[in-house]
Amino acid sequence: MSTPAAEHAVGRRDADGVAARARGLTKAYGSGETTVLALDSVDVDIARGRFTAVMGPSGSGKSTLMHCLAGLDTVSAGQVWLGDTEITGLKDRELTRLRRDRIGFMFQSFNLIPTLNAAENITLPMDIAGQKPDQKWLDQVIDTLGLRDRLKHRPAQLSGGQQQRVACARALASRPELIFADEPTGNLDSRAGLEVLGFLREAVDDLGQSVVMVTHDPGAAAHSDVVLFLGDGRIVDEMERPTAEAVLERMRHFSGSRPTAGGASDDVAVDVVLAADSDDAPLGASLDASLDTLDTFDKD
Amino acid sequence: MLKATLRSFLAHKGRLLLSALAVVLSVAFVAGSLIFSDTVTRTFDRLFASTAADVTVSPKNDLKSRVATGATPTLAASLADRLAKVDGVAATHVDVSVENLTIVDRENKSIGPTSGAPTIATNWQVTKRSPVKLTSGHAPHGADEALLDADTAKHKHVAIGDTLTVQAERTFPVRIVGIATFTTTNPGAALLFLDTPTAQTNLLGSRDAATSIAVDAAPGVADAPLKQRIAAQVGTGRYEVKTADEQAKDAAAQLGGFLDVIKYVMLGFAGIAVLVGVFLIVNTFSMLIAQRTRELGLLRALGADRRQVRRSVLTEALLLGLVGSTLGLAAGIGLALGLIRLMSAFGMNLKSTEMVIGWPTPVTSYVVGVGVTFVAAYLPARRAAGVSPMAALSDAEVAGVGRPLRTRALVGSVVGVAGAAALAGCATASKTATSASLLGLGVVLTLIATVIAGPLLVRPVIRVLGGAFPALFGPVGRMSQRNALRNPRRTGATAAALMVGLALVGGMSVASASMSKSFDHQIDKTLGSDFVIQNSNFVPFTREITDKVRATEGAGLVVRQRFTPVAVRLPDGKRVETTAAGYDPRLDDVAHVTYTQGDTAAALGAGRLSMDATFARDHGVRVGSVIPVEFPAERKTELTVGALTDQGGSGGFGMQGGLVFGFGTVEKYVPGGQDSALYVNAAPGTSPDRLRAHLEQTLKPYPQVQVRDQADYKKLVHDQIAVLLYLVYALLGLAIVIAVLGVVNTLALSVVERTREIGLLRAIGLARRQLRRMIRLESVVIAVFGAVLGLALGLVWGVCVQRVLALQGMKSLAIPWTTIVAVVVGSAVVGIVAALLPALRASRMNVLAAIAHE
Repeated sequence: MSTPAAEHAVGRRDADGVAARARGLTKAYGSGETTVLALDSVDVDIARGRFTAVMGPSGSGKSTLMHCLAGLDTVSAGQVWLGDTEITGLKDRELTRLRRDRIGFMFQSFNLIPTLNAAENITLPMDIAGQKPDQKWLDQVIDTLGLRDRLKHRPAQLSGGQQQRVACARALASRPELIFADEPTGNLDSRAGLEVLGFLREAVDDLGQSVVMVTHDPGAAAHSDVVLFLGDGRIVDEMERPTAEAVLERMRHFSGSRPTAGGASDDVAVDVVLAADSDDAPLGASLDASLDTLDTFDKD
Repeated sequence: MLKATLRSFLAHKGRLLLSALAVVLSVAFVAGSLIFSDTVTRTFDRLFASTAADVTVSPKNDLKSRVATGATPTLAASLADRLAKVDGVAATHVDVSVENLTIVDRENKSIGPTSGAPTIATNWQVTKRSPVKLTSGHAPHGADEALLDADTAKHKHVAIGDTLTVQAERTFPVRIVGIATFTTTNPGAALLFLDTPTAQTNLLGSRDAATSIAVDAAPGVADAPLKQRIAAQVGTGRYEVKTADEQAKDAAAQLGGFLDVIKYVMLGFAGIAVLVGVFLIVNTFSMLIAQRTRELGLLRALGADRRQVRRSVLTEALLLGLVGSTLGLAAGIGLALGLIRLMSAFGMNLKSTEMVIGWPTPVTSYVVGVGVTFVAAYLPARRAAGVSPMAALSDAEVAGVGRPLRTRALVGSVVGVAGAAALAGCATASKTATSASLLGLGVVLTLIATVIAGPLLVRPVIRVLGGAFPALFGPVGRMSQRNALRNPRRTGATAAALMVGLALVGGMSVASASMSKSFDHQIDKTLGSDFVIQNSNFVPFTREITDKVRATEGAGLVVRQRFTPVAVRLPDGKRVETTAAGYDPRLDDVAHVTYTQGDTAAALGAGRLSMDATFARDHGVRVGSVIPVEFPAERKTELTVGALTDQGGSGGFGMQGGLVFGFGTVEKYVPGGQDSALYVNAAPGTSPDRLRAHLEQTLKPYPQVQVRDQADYKKLVHDQIAVLLYLVYALLGLAIVIAVLGVVNTLALSVVERTREIGLLRAIGLARRQLRRMIRLESVVIAVFGAVLGLALGLVWGVCVQRVLALQGMKSLAIPWTTIVAVVVGSAVVGIVAALLPALRASRMNVLAAIAHE
């Protein structure tokens, strides 16, 4: 599972091997007394050529972090870089171009344009940009994902797993600097989920891609190289070479220690804690679901 | 359930707004036309009731002609003295009133109204019924003094002391010595008042002539018995005797014709608005129901039965209809106000404070508004009732998308084949009546078939139309084309609204182009003179003009044309009232007449008559038949048929039978008539251009007549056909406005439905500009699809109309390709305009909100 970092694409300027970086990243919703901090001055480095998982309970800010890193959302304070381009402060047009040319996306569901067939969906970002895809690379991606005989199919004619594979292929096709995957296995059965995780792993190991995956499934997180734990809008822990059990254990510990984790003395933090408290039920539910998933993995 | 309905109505008010607008527009036109005509009718009823004499005696006018002849029927003024002696008569007045005249100012400009209302010269007498009173200057005395009405004086800048020239029976100058102002509504006419002897001499040609005698009843004497006593005294053979009520009613009926035109135009607009609005409403409700499938399923799952669901949707329609009708009624009042103002600009001073809103207006408005909405919502409501409770549980699959179009295909093709058969039948039928009704049937059936089958045509037609899109616009083009194909039912229904309007325009433009071309042919074929001199509105002109033209330097042959109403008793026993034309003998030198039997000499000789060969055959007339002919004022004679002509069936315009005889015959039996046209050839050695210059010099004091050569004549005809076309274009404009609302509606809904898709596209790098273009292109494809379907249908209709009218002489077919191309291009523009708001809305969508959209 180790990742040979040296293997990935050569010639990038940043010597430190950072695909994306955030400093003091803060995202607040609302104003005045009702302000809720989704991200509270987060500093994070996403390593190049690695598979990073972002975990945390619902409302911990993990999706917000991804959206801010990917240039989908504006930040309230702080700075974000993609490679060595600072993306905070870019205009919509520049952000759009950045997403199109330098970032790949996979979402939990509704990943594909229903009117386009698999092949058209895969090359869509490049088509939008008016660029010709690198056919050799494209073939390699398509074959790796086993989509060769599905290219002419519309999304409605594909299974959920196949759809996510097409989405994965689209994310890889333009060789983006960074792929963001938001709960990519959330809507899949365990077999299809494992398949997709395997492909993301392969993309990192064999194709040298950098991947950030947001998930609340410890089983999924176990496929990554490093797990960032998010709680109450901050990065509270980091785990290298995770296993499902270790992640689950960490989540449990984290969830149990939560009242103290948020125990910062400032007023804002209290608000955050209150906001986080209401998330108890979803967290428990997701953990249960995670355990179920693990059981299924074992059976397979 | 009612609460749920109300909530739903309010929740969707944005979407319903566009449908409401369609209802508002149709109701506004209905209400506006009713209010306007009620107001005008009331105003004029009052005017006529207050100005009509207790009893009026006028010369009997049995033969009424649709073609003006220029002769003014008169009676003896001395009749007034006889009538004064009748028991119960308080007083009698001699009325002289002439309409067919022209009054010009010092610069030879006509001071008559430009609106088509008449110029009237009449004798000045102060009675209690007079609609005007003298407001400055003094009453006219003697041959050279006159009063002018204040409105004309103001609009045409005439002041007391100015001199005008009156061209009537005689041409004479008058000095304006006073201004008379209307005390009631001014119907828009220009009025000139002379003293009675001057009016009699100069307008009627005799000191002892009058156009009618007004009788005042003595106090306590009712009109009706007085009328009977007077009728008994003068006899009803030569005189028409009317009470004030009858007189007012007749006057109102004459005005009614003009009002009817406005009314029918307005109702035409209302009809178009209703027709196109129905599509919009059906589509809106279908989409709302599709969107709410889960909600409806939930209602069903919670125990609402089908009837309740259906009633809920229909209640929503009812509310929409009520709101739309109410707003439409208000808009209709505004529209009527606007029309009243417009009429004032044309000189008809209606008072907007006297606006009449009778009870039928709101009733009709609500019946139309609510009825249309209710009918349009009925099918969608049934579909809503058909939603299964399971729909609440299933994933949000949009209802109706997947349903097969087989029923539509079947019904559409059956109706289509029937319609095509009717059209084919009308194109080959040989009788005008049958072919016209077949045409009507065919038009309706093919329209219905196209509307039904529209969704089936979406795929093949849009594949072709949008075929170049991927190549031209890349992935944006590809996605927009496929989006348009996504829900053929919706695309079809949206395009149908546009289709209806464009089919109408397509058909009308083919018909009118064919009409222009046919007239051109006709003019080429028949008009042989260098110039034609005619009044601008084809009414006869003063005889003085004929004399002046004859005396013009360089004028060679002048052939006069004069019309008269006649009644002919035909061998088959039928009595036909029509208009006949009289010509000078050398007709052959100025016109090409095709004779099937006989020649011009035989047709125009003394005691001779010619008519259309087809008309003659239908009524058993042969060359040599002796036909009894009645002229106005009970003059009668018998004429022998000398020739039969082939007029190519062009027997319309009140000239049934194409009756022609010599000029002498008209002069003999219709004294006092005026010429309607002069055909003029250049004298040998004079070029037509020189002659034209001379003629124009001669006719300078007569602004009412124009000199035209063949080209001018064609242009005149084209211009008149163009007026008809402008009306059609205005109708089209309205249809397009409503159709655009439909396209906006559909696109807005599609954008909402595709929120997540749009979010995804934006996330993976589709620029706002590209997104807007995608929606614009989809809109353009839908609009052009509607245009292509509509124009194709319209072309077929137009060709059939031409085939039908070919029997009436419209022999040439012309297809106005430039108009058609312009309409297609225009429809693309319409698409772009319709997409403006939905595209803006889509591009403003927050990417994250769109991704998270449920």
